[in-house]
Amino acid sequence: MNMDNPKKFSAVILGGGIAGISAALELARLGQEVALVEKTPFFGGRAANFCCKATDACQKCGACLVDDRLKALFQESRITLLSHAELTGCSRENGLFHLVVKQQPEVINPEGCVDCGLCYEECPAADKGAILTTAVTQNHPRYAVNPGACLYFLDGSCQVCQQICPPTARAIDLARPAKTLELTAKALVVATGYRPSDPACRPHYGYGRLPHVVAGYELEEMLRNGTGPGGPGAEVPRRIGFIQCVGSRDQEHPYCSQVCCAYTLRLARLLKHRWPEAEVTSFYMDLQETGRQSPQFQAEARREVKMVRALPGDLHATPDGRVKIRFMEEDSGQPAAADFDLLVLSVGIGPGDDNPALAALLQASLTPDGFFQAADPDHRTQTSQPGLFLAGTAEGPRDIAGCISQATAAARQVSQYVKES
Amino acid sequence: MTIARQLDIILAHGPELSAGGLDYYKLGLWAAGQPNSRILSLNPALPPEELERRLRAFLHGDQPHTVLVAALDPHHRARHILRLLTEVMQVNPELISVVDLQEALGSPDPQACSITAHHLIGVNASMITRAQPITTQELPVTSRVLVWGDSFAALKAAVDLADLGYPVIQAYPGPALSPLLPGAAPAQPFGAELQDLIARVQSHSAIQLLPQTHMAEALESAGNFRVRLQTPEGVREEKVGAMILAPELSLEPREAAAGAASHPRILTQSQLEDLLAAPEEAALLIPEADSRLRVAFLGGDSHPLALARTLSSARPLLARDNVQVMLFIRDAKVGAPGMEAALGQAQSSGLIVFKLPQLPTLTLADDRPRLAFFDPVMHEAESLACDLVVRDEVYRPAADNAALAEVLHLFPGPGGFLQGDNVRFLPVITNRRGVYVVGAGRGLMDLDQARAETDAAVNEVQQLLGRGTTIAPKGRSVVDRGRCVLCLTCHRVCPHGAVTWDNRAIINELACQGCGVCASQCPNDAIQIRNFTDDQVVAALETLDPRLTPRIIAFMCKNSAWEAYHAAIKLAPVNLPLGFTPLKMPCAGKIDIDYILKAFTYGADGVLVLACHQDNCKSQEGNLHAQWRVERAREMLADAGVDPRRLVFKTLAANTPQDFLAAVASLAEVLGGLKAA
Ligand SMILES: Cc1cc2nc3c(=O)[nH]c(=O)nc-3n(C[C@H](O)[C@H](O)[C@H](O)COP(=O)(O)OP(=O)(O)OC[C@H]3O[C@@H](n4cnc5c(N)ncnc54)[C@H](O)[C@@H]3O)c2cc1C
Ligand code: SF4
Ligand code: SF4
Ligand code: SF4
Ligand code: SF4
Repeated sequence: MNMDNPKKFSAVILGGGIAGISAALELARLGQEVALVEKTPFFGGRAANFCCKATDACQKCGACLVDDRLKALFQESRITLLSHAELTGCSRENGLFHLVVKQQPEVINPEGCVDCGLCYEECPAADKGAILTTAVTQNHPRYAVNPGACLYFLDGSCQVCQQICPPTARAIDLARPAKTLELTAKALVVATGYRPSDPACRPHYGYGRLPHVVAGYELEEMLRNGTGPGGPGAEVPRRIGFIQCVGSRDQEHPYCSQVCCAYTLRLARLLKHRWPEAEVTSFYMDLQETGRQSPQFQAEARREVKMVRALPGDLHATPDGRVKIRFMEEDSGQPAAADFDLLVLSVGIGPGDDNPALAALLQASLTPDGFFQAADPDHRTQTSQPGLFLAGTAEGPRDIAGCISQATAAARQVSQYVKES
Repeated sequence: MTIARQLDIILAHGPELSAGGLDYYKLGLWAAGQPNSRILSLNPALPPEELERRLRAFLHGDQPHTVLVAALDPHHRARHILRLLTEVMQVNPELISVVDLQEALGSPDPQACSITAHHLIGVNASMITRAQPITTQELPVTSRVLVWGDSFAALKAAVDLADLGYPVIQAYPGPALSPLLPGAAPAQPFGAELQDLIARVQSHSAIQLLPQTHMAEALESAGNFRVRLQTPEGVREEKVGAMILAPELSLEPREAAAGAASHPRILTQSQLEDLLAAPEEAALLIPEADSRLRVAFLGGDSHPLALARTLSSARPLLARDNVQVMLFIRDAKVGAPGMEAALGQAQSSGLIVFKLPQLPTLTLADDRPRLAFFDPVMHEAESLACDLVVRDEVYRPAADNAALAEVLHLFPGPGGFLQGDNVRFLPVITNRRGVYVVGAGRGLMDLDQARAETDAAVNEVQQLLGRGTTIAPKGRSVVDRGRCVLCLTCHRVCPHGAVTWDNRAIINELACQGCGVCASQCPNDAIQIRNFTDDQVVAALETLDPRLTPRIIAFMCKNSAWEAYHAAIKLAPVNLPLGFTPLKMPCAGKIDIDYILKAFTYGADGVLVLACHQDNCKSQEGNLHAQWRVERAREMLADAGVDPRRLVFKTLAANTPQDFLAAVASLAEVLGGLKAA
């Protein structure tokens, strides 16, 4: 692409999660040329790694919609996909956005790569993130060299992957340069998503310290990829606990994340369905009715899952390697204790890491909680800057369904704005 | 394989296929040796002009071509080739078969690798060379749109559509437009936006208002519905191209104990709001400088929007020094923007919140309401006299939603709302093309969400109705009028309301979504879904190579199991049984009982019927039909002396590759056991 001749788009969308993908697909359907800029090498965002929570019937978690939309994304010719790319410059002239996007070198050539994973296996710095990989198979290649951690890029000391890649594939060329692209766009959509709250934000829950304590997103990924708990070779946990509102509704996060109740109950029911003999408990503050749950959902969940209204105060390891929780029993008002083979911290939705820098670049503002500030509570796809739109969790907590409808609406507003401008 | 007509095979590969252990040179030779076929080896990494030149040289001549593209991960790797074929070479997409050779690469030895590749190409070749092109047709549609209800979303939809030039009929149950602002007092004056919307609806020349209207009947389908509307002036019939449903919610007070309801100190939330709006009256019940007064709110915990209402009327009371305000709830519904902060603020200005598993019982004592409950914190029974008790109100879906859903043949939604409870319908579609549900029709939501859904539905209407004509497939689902005996089974089972009739069944191809449920249920085999026809499936079954064992035929819904299968073979090399035969179906509802039985006749050792999870089927019931047929087929197999364990029904989602592998493995194990026995 030529620097003097910037590529023109009706709209550029930042963030290739479910919100960004939905916005891009709807804009393409409305006949607009769009570019989708994704920071990581892979599309799909957080929810692409989540598991199906169907028991005998679908539990309406929406995770499979991400796969569905991803497939459509890769088949849509009106969308220019820029992966492993980040916005580094933005200015506006007569309303038109002039964007500078830096794209990491495409070290692995998609035409050659067969996703064999040899490069990843042999890379001496893979554990430091030198080669990134995804289990979301809609992406190809599923491996990407990360110049930020790759030894070749750091000091030229390694070329193992290039040598190990099968001679017939010869997909790796470490010398490939990074690209700086110039784009113009009439409208910009910020769909850069969220960061799950830090499961260690409440140190007494022992994340990283106690055995068998995992974060909600880790359980989702383990279940999706069949890597436990109870996976091949692993022991089936008998006593499973969830602690809700980790990184929500506290001093640092004075808001409800709006997804944790629902995913906790769905995961709990899924585990109960898989292992009917298991005992599943959830510690909660208040159960939220978000999205469009059927009235039976919570009643059924309460039948299968023991719901305890208490936030546990004291957790420690037992001699046999389990986790003991002390809490106040609601009914009796007495202190109680229980042991768990698996404890899941239901973390919430925190603002994206890049929000401050991105907001500065776009001259947009953030809410006190750190999300992108919408024009007003009744217009959450719009900002005070004409032409700058928001979609998905970049604006605040919402579930997959909420992301899809908001992104679809953003697409409509973008296309109207583009037509009028 | 049985290649029915000239087939142009494109083997799209760079050297990478050999990297996986597949000898593509030999594969090319093998393919070239098949009757009726030609072969082109093409490296997809070539420059686009070169790809185009080679494709042109290969696909010369004017006759329509049938093309099979075999590649590793073709939708990524061969995407330029596929795009050139459809967009430049004008090959009908229905005459292109795309074969992913990935499964072959999972095989451990080169021999198995190429046998699997032959098998995959063979199965697909026999199907695609029996395919017929599906073309498109331009159909006239009515551009008038029916907007149902007078909620915010309905008003907004009417104005947006009218502004776009679509004439609108807006029908609603009451005598006047009376939208309800969720989270606000019903009697509160409308804000500027809503006032403006109402004024525009009332004055817009393209919007016709029909008050006090009910839907009596809805005939025909997308693009040209005929609806019969019951109005005070009598029944009128209107032709509309699409409908947006957003009937307003209603408010229902919590049930009160007998006698308590009429006491002047026991109010509903609405009554309190009215009272607060009239200071003189309020002063009678809650005098300014009296001794301490106690006000208790019961509930307000059904939804964040209900809590928002409670908190906004608690606020002026909390501002008074002499009033103690209590809130009794089961759960603090703070799952909406700003609500956690709003509750926190109310608490810091004095609101006392009791969270109880059961709300207090309300009685009267000394002409004062009294609340009895068990305090979980103090761990004792409490009884409190109050000066005022406020019963919460719950938002309910419009009462006649069920009737409306029945008239429109919609699958009912959760909790009395209109859109079926199936994530495939997100955000606003329904099982019937041309019928969209938004805002208050879908659930209880704030204005932002209602607005977003309205935007989404207006997009859909624009896509469907365009400027008076629309594009529909032609020849995808066809009734053989010679065979149809007008039993109307198809009309009854079609999940999308696409079948009508004259003296034979007629499928409306705009409304039809090609699921094939009708075709599989028709007792006379009078319906064929083009490119999933019975003879295509039989031809695929005929290619079963007896040397490949165990022979497992997997009939897979393309929306779920087919994707899970692809995810599984891409995730890691997997060694599926050599005779594994993947067959893609438009919906599990198209898996005929005949297919299952024929699969066994043609030598299958086992059959997998893989559908979407219950409530996740795009056609809602396709998976159920498949399950029922499998149950019946099992009985028939047992009667015929075939062990019914050879036939397995399982539901999957696109993102469950592990479940797919487990299903294949467990059937293979059963078959292994049966063989040993
Ligand atoms: C543990 C857990 C479980 C959940 N389970 C469910 C569930 O079952 N059902 C449900 O509906 N919801 C669930 N959710 C919520 C769900 O994850 C979100 O609603 C959804 O993923 C949000 O999508 P998004 O596109 O807004 O953001 P993301 O998924 O975060 O996608 C944002 C994308 O933008 C990219 N990006 C970030 N910064 C930049 C930048 N500067 N430039 C370019 N790209 C950038 C990211 O790499 C990412 O790909 C769950 C959340 C958690 C934490
Ligand atoms: S449970 Fe979730 S992922 Fe599974 S089918 Fe239902 S919506 Fe899809
Ligand atoms: S080694 Fe080569 S072919 Fe294998 S995944 Fe890495 S880049 Fe792709
Ligand atoms: S089911 Fe078959 S025979 Fe019966 S009406 Fe429909 S097409 Fe005709
Ligand atoms: S194919 Fe499906 S949608 Fe079409 S008419 Fe038959 S049952 Fe209805």
